[in-house]
Amino acid sequence: MTILCVRFQLPSADEAALPALLGLLEEFTPVVEALPPDGALADLRGAERYFGRSAVELASVIRVRALALHGVDCVIGAGPGPMSARVALRGARPGVTCAVPEGGVREFLAEKPVVALPGVGTATARTLCEYGLDTLGRVAVAPLSTLQRLVGAKAGRELHEKANGVDRGRVVPNAVSRSLATERPFGRDELDPDRHRRALLSAAGELGARLRAVEKVCRTLTLTVRYADRSATTRSRTLGEPTAHSAALTRTAYGLYEALGLQRARVRAIALRAEALGPADQASHQLTFDPVDEKVRRIEEVADRVRAKFGPQAVKPGTLAA
Amino acid sequence: MSGFTHLHTVSGFSLRYGASHPERLAERASERGMDALALTDRDTLAGSVRFAKACAKAGVRPLFGVDLAVAPPERPQGDASVRRDRRRTPVRGGAFVDESTPRVTFLARDGARGWGDLCRIVTAAHESEGTPVLPWAENHGAGLTVLLGPASDVGRALAAGRPDRAAKLLTPWREVYGDALRLEAVWHGRTGTGPGSLRLAARTVGFAAEQRIRPVLSNAVRYADPGQGPVADVLDAARRLVPVDPAKGLDSGEAWLKDAGAMLRTAERIVEAAGYRRDTAHRLLEQTRATAAECLVDPEDDLGMGAVHFPEPHLVGAGHRTAQRTLASRAAAGMVLRGHSGKRVYWERMHRELDIIAHHGFASYFLTVAQVVDDVRGMGIRVAARGSGAGSLVNHLLGIANADPVEHGLLMERFLSKERVVLPDIDIDVESARRLEVYRAIIGRFGTERVATVAMPETYRVRHAIRDVGAALSMDPADIDRIAKSFPHIRARDARAALEELPELRSLAGEKERYGRLWELVESLDALPRGVAMHPCGVLLSDASLLSRTPVMPTSGEGFPMAQFDKDDVEDLGLLKLDVLGVRMQSAMAHAVGEVERATGERIDLDTLKGGDPATYRLIRSAETLGCFQIESPGQRDLVGRLQPATFHDLVVDISLFRPGPVAADMVRPFIEARHGRAPVRYPHPDLTEPLRDTYGVVVFHEQIIDIVAVMTGCGRGEADRVRRGLSDPESQGRIKVWFAQHAAAGGYDAETIQRTWEIIEAFGSYGFCKAHAVAFAVPTYQSAWLKAHHPAAFYAGLLTHDPGMYPKRLLLADARRRGVPVLPLDVNRSAVAHRIELVSDSGSDSSGAGADPSGSGVWGLRLALSDVYGITEAEAARIADGQPYASLLDFWERARPSRPLAARLAQVGALDAFGANRRDLQLHLTELHRGARGAGGGQLPLAGGRKTTPAGLPDLSSAEKLSAELGVLSMDASRHLMDDHRGFLDELGVLSARRLRDTRHGETVLVAGAKAATQTPPIRSGKRVIFTTLDDGTGLVDLAFFDDSHDACAHTVFHSWLLLVRGVVQRRGPRSLSVVGAAAWNLAELLEVRRDEGLEGVAARLAGPGGAPDADTSNADTSNADTPDAGASDAGVDGPARGRLAGSDGLPAPAGSAARDAGEQRRIRMPTGYEMHPWADLRPAGEGPAVGRKLWHQSPGSAG
Repeated sequence: MTILCVRFQLPSADEAALPALLGLLEEFTPVVEALPPDGALADLRGAERYFGRSAVELASVIRVRALALHGVDCVIGAGPGPMSARVALRGARPGVTCAVPEGGVREFLAEKPVVALPGVGTATARTLCEYGLDTLGRVAVAPLSTLQRLVGAKAGRELHEKANGVDRGRVVPNAVSRSLATERPFGRDELDPDRHRRALLSAAGELGARLRAVEKVCRTLTLTVRYADRSATTRSRTLGEPTAHSAALTRTAYGLYEALGLQRARVRAIALRAEALGPADQASHQLTFDPVDEKVRRIEEVADRVRAKFGPQAVKPGTLAA
Repeated sequence: MSGFTHLHTVSGFSLRYGASHPERLAERASERGMDALALTDRDTLAGSVRFAKACAKAGVRPLFGVDLAVAPPERPQGDASVRRDRRRTPVRGGAFVDESTPRVTFLARDGARGWGDLCRIVTAAHESEGTPVLPWAENHGAGLTVLLGPASDVGRALAAGRPDRAAKLLTPWREVYGDALRLEAVWHGRTGTGPGSLRLAARTVGFAAEQRIRPVLSNAVRYADPGQGPVADVLDAARRLVPVDPAKGLDSGEAWLKDAGAMLRTAERIVEAAGYRRDTAHRLLEQTRATAAECLVDPEDDLGMGAVHFPEPHLVGAGHRTAQRTLASRAAAGMVLRGHSGKRVYWERMHRELDIIAHHGFASYFLTVAQVVDDVRGMGIRVAARGSGAGSLVNHLLGIANADPVEHGLLMERFLSKERVVLPDIDIDVESARRLEVYRAIIGRFGTERVATVAMPETYRVRHAIRDVGAALSMDPADIDRIAKSFPHIRARDARAALEELPELRSLAGEKERYGRLWELVESLDALPRGVAMHPCGVLLSDASLLSRTPVMPTSGEGFPMAQFDKDDVEDLGLLKLDVLGVRMQSAMAHAVGEVERATGERIDLDTLKGGDPATYRLIRSAETLGCFQIESPGQRDLVGRLQPATFHDLVVDISLFRPGPVAADMVRPFIEARHGRAPVRYPHPDLTEPLRDTYGVVVFHEQIIDIVAVMTGCGRGEADRVRRGLSDPESQGRIKVWFAQHAAAGGYDAETIQRTWEIIEAFGSYGFCKAHAVAFAVPTYQSAWLKAHHPAAFYAGLLTHDPGMYPKRLLLADARRRGVPVLPLDVNRSAVAHRIELVSDSGSDSSGAGADPSGSGVWGLRLALSDVYGITEAEAARIADGQPYASLLDFWERARPSRPLAARLAQVGALDAFGANRRDLQLHLTELHRGARGAGGGQLPLAGGRKTTPAGLPDLSSAEKLSAELGVLSMDASRHLMDDHRGFLDELGVLSARRLRDTRHGETVLVAGAKAATQTPPIRSGKRVIFTTLDDGTGLVDLAFFDDSHDACAHTVFHSWLLLVRGVVQRRGPRSLSVVGAAAWNLAELLEVRRDEGLEGVAARLAGPGGAPDADTSNADTSNADTPDAGASDAGVDGPARGRLAGSDGLPAPAGSAARDAGEQRRIRMPTGYEMHPWADLRPAGEGPAVGRKLWHQSPGSAG
């Protein structure tokens, strides 16, 4: 009953607001793990004694403060371990903290659908449901060997443990793994490759600027193309070197797009996501004898400063200005 | 100066390109003062016949042509080194539709030769794979004029500003066509130098002068009227499968059928732009006119309209003799064979018929049909003649028709007489499963140069129109789907009217405005062809000149040659069409007979069954005739119950009575009253006793009308048949009345008799049914009922295998269960590809009882078939059946090699239960076997005792899940009835089962529930729409009718739910006749869910809510009734030609100004018989339909699959 799982109800996944909210949690305990884009785990083991209140009471305090300070509501689940707290979050509503009693984890889980368990994605859930293991209770009583046959040795063992309420996870502070994303929707079904590329150019430019603003570099770029029938294609590519350089991001984005070979696909949106972010000062950069690369980076630097001064629309590529 | 001739005009037959019907084009041409018009559709001549007819009506001379893609001539220096880089295969959405091949317009110039050339090049173009392209080698024709327009290779070179290249490309064209080559200038007011631009048009004219080739002016017409540009855009989008993109350029809106003045102005602009004086325009127009004047093809002489072409006599067994003599000798041989040689009546009749045939010269026709029937029979395929042809003794003698026309009182005159000049038609029914074999046999017999199947254009109706327009307008696919599915299958032009009038569309009508121009565009697509399919039954038989009169293309799939003309065109062209109908019931019966023989060794010959079998008639009288040919529909079951047939003749009458005409004319009630002695039999005159005696004085058959007229006027039956045909036309009816009165009076009948008889004839109109038809129908009816009575298991096996009926298979299975036929589950060790029968020992255990002695009191059970498993391929089913028996799961996996999803489905429905373990464990083993098969030498199969599969400890399927799996995989609830699970809830509600319903009184209010088995909205006499629904609740069927006043509340629920709970009032019209008139309907699936989640309180809340219950007094404003609001005609289910005719858009052009704006009144469809129909009646209603969807109402989170 000492771990809280908090999900802030941020307007339209506004990732930028998360750090401030994490700060709020850190006033209660130093052991806070961010679950981007809008959640966090907090270990209140020490805090309970320090504040003289139970975790559920502290949850109310956290909610009140979040509302008062940031105007953001939140839902909170509480449990003896991170896993149970996260499952509990599903049953919580604003103002009603769902708490899993110590020692009652197994019973609590028994009625839950398998997807409630963190780590069980749609694929695993589909496999399990196919074999009639649709609730965690059923998973818990299924023989371990059978589970391992179903989902693999390691995953099967973990699944078996978790379903039986064994929670080996810990809250790891500062394990922030974050990503930046941007999306370019189209007003109608768009088939024109030129307009697709223009969207990519602008999205990559934006990602680069945002990365440089927070002094990060990304290692992986993911392209998601959404179609009129609400389906989507996703492709990822790891960059040659971690970078925040817009030109490099654009090149990779174009490469991802060309690989799809789209012709008649009715594209409704193109989204780019920079993943595996790291601090910019730890990134390596291959120098070349080609002066162009150097110049481009210098220009980018200048452009960034212009944008900082006159707004993000002040400087942009010529194709986008037309 | 008179008019302008458009040499390049396409109609809607240019699939997804032309926006106007040929009729409309001809009409407009005439209105705009043109005296000639060409039709040059893309890749097809299919519109030619309609166009020719429409032109004749409008007083315009038709020109025929075609617009084809032409492959470039092969270059001698094939530069293989330069390879075009192949584009990457798209991960999504598919590749662009390739329309890059240049297109050229060909016009037929020299009469029949020109037409023959057209047919040849169209046929040649369709021989290429993929899109039709004319290979250069075939690109010639002495009777053709060629227009090289902007889309041709020459035009493209000019557009690219390369007159040098254009000159080079022109050379091969000039070599082939010489003086018959024209350059086509088109100006659509576009800018730039592309197609339709002024500069390209001017360049074309200049280039023509330079090359000394005559230029012509055209407007490349795509639609008849200005303002149809957006329709062309939608069609372009639908053809290219992309959305309309305003940024990419829309249709110019200029490609309409402009009048002469507008074209003169166009010509002036073009010649001026080309640098000539303005009056040079006249020379351009003069060239155009001269080109049109050269193109002389006469529809009668050159297309062969009106003439008749039969296969050559030597092909149909005539040898060196004439066809007529051969026919006479074969008929005489038939007399001896059938034992009629001693009967004078037969000889006289035969000679009379032969005379009539000789009079028309149709002997080859009869021999041809006889030849086909002989061939089919030789292949061991069941074949039966249907239609009026059964009335001819010669047909019977040749073996075409089974029933003896003399014995059944059928008349030759109904089929063919000296007075009738149209082609007679004989339709033959064959087993549906082997129909294509029959086609191959016919083609093999007569050769591809004489045989072709007939095309059937698929036209836009509302649902497809919505889908295509929605996609073109970039609408959300989910929205498109929802909107399209909520419409019944109506004409596209009625879309907006339906929105306003149909209660089940009310919610959609509310959001109508959101979709902007959707509705307008949908209506404008009405009845345009969107594809071509092979007509399901017509086969053309002609002499060797077929290919020079008809363009032929291969059908997709089977690759049969298919004429581009549809069935009406074919008749106009005088081509002999034989209708070979695939009848599923014939296949089902063949399968049943085969099963009986396989299992018991007993051979049944259905064609020689003794009539009058008491068990068979007992079955028919019980009205439990589900699955029996022609008498299984709800209305027919009701009628059979009231009529209580006891002889073959009763069956014939029953089938004839169940037609819209007799029902509407209220002939059913007097007939039944008289039959059961509740009313006296009356004849208008003692002389008419003879023809009317069999039907208790009620006129049922066409033959009786012919006899009445013949007796009263003494005019002979041939003439009487002509008179009968005239009755359906109100104009000629007046004339006939006078004629009839005069002649009858001359025959000595008194005025009162004449008056009364005329009333009967008039009321009868052309309502009745051809007795020959009915006799032909009644034969399989009796045969199927006989099978059901004597070999029920085999009968159901046949039905389920070939699925002939109007009901879903699961209903047939429920019927089998009710009639005590054990249903044996699917089992890979026992089930075959098709449904089989199996002896079940009467001990009751379902363990293998196959070895039981056949003499014992074993019951034949029905073993379900592998072919019914969802997603099984023929090869897989055959492999599983061939490998039987299997010792273990591993054995099955290795030898039968099922795909993994298939194996999983088999496990789910218990087909693998014999291998031990529960169904989920089996699935796990299968998955591992599958993984193992992919390499990595995966898990060993855990075997216990070598045979049984070890359990893995997974939970077994619950009983509800098993049922759900059965429904999902087999579409049938094989183990028990699906309503059984809900019995408890239904008892709580006090729902009456179908069995208990039989004991209710007339007028009692009841609740009934069940799975929807069929829904119809047939036309009925009052002209209102009535929804008929059949529910199946496991104990029997409940027939429901919803009248107008309940539609507001119920229509949507009834159409769109699968499980229904209905409140209604019992209606009884006889001991066996029972139906429920629905007042309120609820979706039972929803209620069940509510019951489970919220308990009875929730159900009460739902029932109290507005869900299904109607408001206290529904303001049913729609009481604009027609002549007589006779709800008594509620049994008017309809088959027959009326359905096809009324339901379809028929390809008729929409009348000027969309019909949709008229009030519902005017759209009330008036049938030729003067009998009115609700505009929304007789359409396939919206919703999932009776065929069980695989989407099921209960899907628990753990449901298998």
